[in-house]
Amino acid sequence: MLSYILKRLAQGILTVWFIATATFFAMHNVPGDPLTNDRAMTDTTRANLEAKYGLDQPITTQYLIFLRNLSRGDFGISFVQENREVNDIIREHFPVSAILGVLAVIFAATGGVLFGALTALYRNRFPDYLIMFLVIMGISVPSFVVAALSQLSLVTFNNLIGFTVLPVAGWGTILHMLVPALVLGLSTMAYLTRLMRSSMLEVTSSDYVRTAKSKGVPATRIFTRHQLRNAILPVVTVLGPAIAAITTGGFVVELVFAIPGLGRYFVEAVQQLDYTVIMGTTVFYGAFLVFMVIIVDVVYGLIDPRVRLET
Amino acid sequence: MSELSASSFAPIEAHQQTQVISRPSLSYWQDAWIRLKANKRALVSLYIVIGLLLFTIAGPLVWQVDPAIQDIEQISQPPGTDRGATIVPDYEPWFGTQGLPGSGLRLAEPANSQAVRMQWDALPGANGHRVYRNLFPVGSELAYGIPLAEFLNNDTLYFEDRLDLQPGRFYYSVVALDARGQITDQYQSLTVDLERVTTLQEALERGLIDAADNIQIGDEIELAWHPLGTDYLGRDLLARLMAGARVSLFIGIGAPFLFVLFGVVYGSAAGFMGGRADQLMMRFADFVVALPFLLFMILFKIAFGIGPGESGVFPMLVAMVVLLWPATARLVRGQILQIREQGYISASQLLGANTSYLIMRHMIPNTLGVVLVTVTFAIPSAIFTEAFLSFIGMGVAPPTPSWGSMSNEGIKTMLTTPHELFFPALFISFTVLAFNLLGDGLRDALDARMRNVE
Amino acid sequence: MSADGEKLNTDAPLLEVENLHVEFDTYGGTVEAVRGVDFTVDQGQTLAIVGESGCGKSVTVQSIMGLIPMPPGRITAGSARLRGHEVLGRNRIDGKEIRGREIGMIFQDPMTSLNPTMSIGAQIAEPLQVHRGYSATDAFAEAVHLLEMSKIPEAAKRARQYPFEFSGGMLQRAMIAMAISCKPSILIADEPTTALDVTIQAQILDLMQDLQKETGMAIILITHDLGVVARMADEVAVMYAGRVVEHGSADDVFYRSAHPYTVGLKEAMPTNDPALQHELKPIEGSPPDLFAPPRGCGYCARCPHAMQVCDEITPSDHFLHDHHFSRCWLHHEQAPIKPETIYFKDAKA
Repeated sequence: MLSYILKRLAQGILTVWFIATATFFAMHNVPGDPLTNDRAMTDTTRANLEAKYGLDQPITTQYLIFLRNLSRGDFGISFVQENREVNDIIREHFPVSAILGVLAVIFAATGGVLFGALTALYRNRFPDYLIMFLVIMGISVPSFVVAALSQLSLVTFNNLIGFTVLPVAGWGTILHMLVPALVLGLSTMAYLTRLMRSSMLEVTSSDYVRTAKSKGVPATRIFTRHQLRNAILPVVTVLGPAIAAITTGGFVVELVFAIPGLGRYFVEAVQQLDYTVIMGTTVFYGAFLVFMVIIVDVVYGLIDPRVRLET
Repeated sequence: MSELSASSFAPIEAHQQTQVISRPSLSYWQDAWIRLKANKRALVSLYIVIGLLLFTIAGPLVWQVDPAIQDIEQISQPPGTDRGATIVPDYEPWFGTQGLPGSGLRLAEPANSQAVRMQWDALPGANGHRVYRNLFPVGSELAYGIPLAEFLNNDTLYFEDRLDLQPGRFYYSVVALDARGQITDQYQSLTVDLERVTTLQEALERGLIDAADNIQIGDEIELAWHPLGTDYLGRDLLARLMAGARVSLFIGIGAPFLFVLFGVVYGSAAGFMGGRADQLMMRFADFVVALPFLLFMILFKIAFGIGPGESGVFPMLVAMVVLLWPATARLVRGQILQIREQGYISASQLLGANTSYLIMRHMIPNTLGVVLVTVTFAIPSAIFTEAFLSFIGMGVAPPTPSWGSMSNEGIKTMLTTPHELFFPALFISFTVLAFNLLGDGLRDALDARMRNVE
Repeated sequence: MSADGEKLNTDAPLLEVENLHVEFDTYGGTVEAVRGVDFTVDQGQTLAIVGESGCGKSVTVQSIMGLIPMPPGRITAGSARLRGHEVLGRNRIDGKEIRGREIGMIFQDPMTSLNPTMSIGAQIAEPLQVHRGYSATDAFAEAVHLLEMSKIPEAAKRARQYPFEFSGGMLQRAMIAMAISCKPSILIADEPTTALDVTIQAQILDLMQDLQKETGMAIILITHDLGVVARMADEVAVMYAGRVVEHGSADDVFYRSAHPYTVGLKEAMPTNDPALQHELKPIEGSPPDLFAPPRGCGYCARCPHAMQVCDEITPSDHFLHDHHFSRCWLHHEQAPIKPETIYFKDAKA
């Protein structure tokens, strides 16, 4: 198990390097001088920035400076908000996005596994049709529409009840997190439900389930120990990329619900062409996702003994 | 048991029927097509997809309305609204009507979309007045609405509103100002129903009438028909949806085709070569997969030099292709590896088949199924991505229509004019749904293993 | 006395299957998989059911076990009685579970027939926990003991391992251990050796016989390999196209084959006897399409002795002697010819 983890970690670091490199070269393809924008900048600031990033140096040197800074965890200073370090921006806003993302993934995973298993249990009966209908809606309606509509329903709901049951926007308490996380996780939940369903159906018609039946094992026990445990494997595999999709897609929800997360700042940075923030956030996000995928892989190894015992 | 005659025991001619084929044998594709047709949901989806393509390609030929033209008189009109307009004389400035009967805040003449002319008597204690207009009645909270004009003395007691006049109901208020020019609680309100009007000149210009029709002032004519309504700039929604379809589908279908094509070539090469080359190629693919997708989409746009608020259809296409090919490559490679191990490949080789024959006759047809399904699922995902990016302003920007940017505009007025959001969102959902169900159907039809399931 | 301590009526058969009919609804139509199957199994006896792929042997035993999903499957007629109690459509007889307790079953491919995410020991322990109320630890200890009985070395260590760490032969032993854990009266083995090497085959069959001697259980052995039949079976039922075409003792069926199909099977067996120098004699043609089953005898199209009546009417089960039956028109009194290869009841021994 340990060697498995170490191997994955090594791969992860390599991947992060690749992401950083790709980001760097993408950003440096932008025409024009990154510092010449409509913003007035004092000469000293300009000189400082140029020195710090070596903007007058050949690109390879800049790249090395970039890597060196990166390895120290120094993402630089925001070009737009001249006194803020990118690290500070990340540190302040990323936890918000992370909590939102984690909650969303929890919703998506539990919902997906639960509903997927239910549809397989009640195959071709009413609960199956109902859930699959909702699933199809879930994957067809764009997330921003869902976000806007849910906010609208929330307002109406609060008005009906008479007081604010769940806050409509903003961040702070757990109540603020529930609806946005649910909305964020919805499309992934739909996707996971389908995946779980087909996985369950495949498992149900497998030989070992037949053996379990031939042993006279009661249906509930077959469900938990034989079907569920094996059917959940593909879902866990997908969880890594699913976390990726959720976290990067978070900014719509953040925008609509006025949540001060990193995604929203990223969008603003893009709109203002704040290069250091863009680069820093991208690399940070990339590293975070790689890390999450590793965690998911480890969890998968815990469930499926074949992975950890074979090389 | 009945008695059997002796003839019953006469021997049958041998080998009469050793191989009676009772059912016609079907090729893989014929079988898949039959199964696809049997799947009603998939069939309906297929029709929807075909319908959509017709809508996009042939639609503008049928509904020849320029999506950019603004029908000012019909801004943000939901479908089915009355589009009658009375012909009135051309506009002429107004400076109040002398000797207007009545008292208090009142209309000088019937209100219409050309002008709303009102007059009032000075409010007690007023040192001036401010005129407001609201879509909703002024309630106890004194929500007057938007201020239209301000008069700092009592000389001017009339006002003509020409701002953004749409047929419907407005609530005007005149509020008294105190000595310092601040509003007081003294006000008068007037409920005004606007009638839609247009001038002869405009009607002629817009092709709504012919000179030969001999329309007079006071006649009713019909304004342009907008089957799905108009947006906030008065543009025909149906025409915009068609134009938007072109953009959304161009990216939605074009990008998947391209990156699947690239993925197939890359994946087959890797699967074929095997060994070291294969490992290296897949390692590279893994790296590309690790790049955070949306972030890099945006990065690509910037890297192409396109700022926020500018349209970047081509860069979006390129970005999608560059970022999304690995999944297909991995899939195809897996298929190739699997197929290579199959018995029929060895058998074919034993019979003397060379490599290109094997590729053309065995490998490609067997991968086609998987590739077809991948493409069908990649399309809704690409459409979503485009809509998503356009929604946050990172994709296609106004005035270029795309379903995503139209949804973005629609959300802003979701409460007052829901149709502006409803139709683009509906089209996105329908398209995505249709492709998803079609993909499901194709997968069920092509993958015999799954046949007994569901 | 059986292993369960019950008083036995050794005259009555343990399992009696009568006129079993099973159908399936598929997207291509309805398949009649089993079209009137009869056989009996006595205490402590081994019955072999022989036939080629698709003849319905697996479906027959799986219907008895209640393992056929119903839809798309359907039992349209027939009964199966275990010690006189009807078993079809039931879960228990006499208050005891049928599956896993009264009847144990092992399958053809042990690799796919075991749960990959559960240890072997846990899977063997499962029926003990379910049917006998053992605690998890006790059941696991018993599982280790069962593994030893199945001649698996280092049983304690093996019990904690997972299926993918076992070889095919060992897995099959584990499956057997699992199937007999609650001391069933019948063990059904559905082609247990088909996926194994020949040498391993012999070991597994020996194991089954040893266990049979120890526990007194009956065995229903499904196979298409006549060599296995010769080695193990007391009684044989030959199946073709959903019906039993011949049944009787192993000696009867082998040495006094009374059905053209049985004869064909024997002749198709490769042999390494150097004295017999002739080509392999396969049976020409293939089994009938059970979407549209033939009215008459299913073997008619391939039978060298086919008569008109064979094509038109299903042959009845003709009694030969003792409990040897053949479902063939050749044994009808009006049948004119008596081919040499077929045994007839008045033939000289």
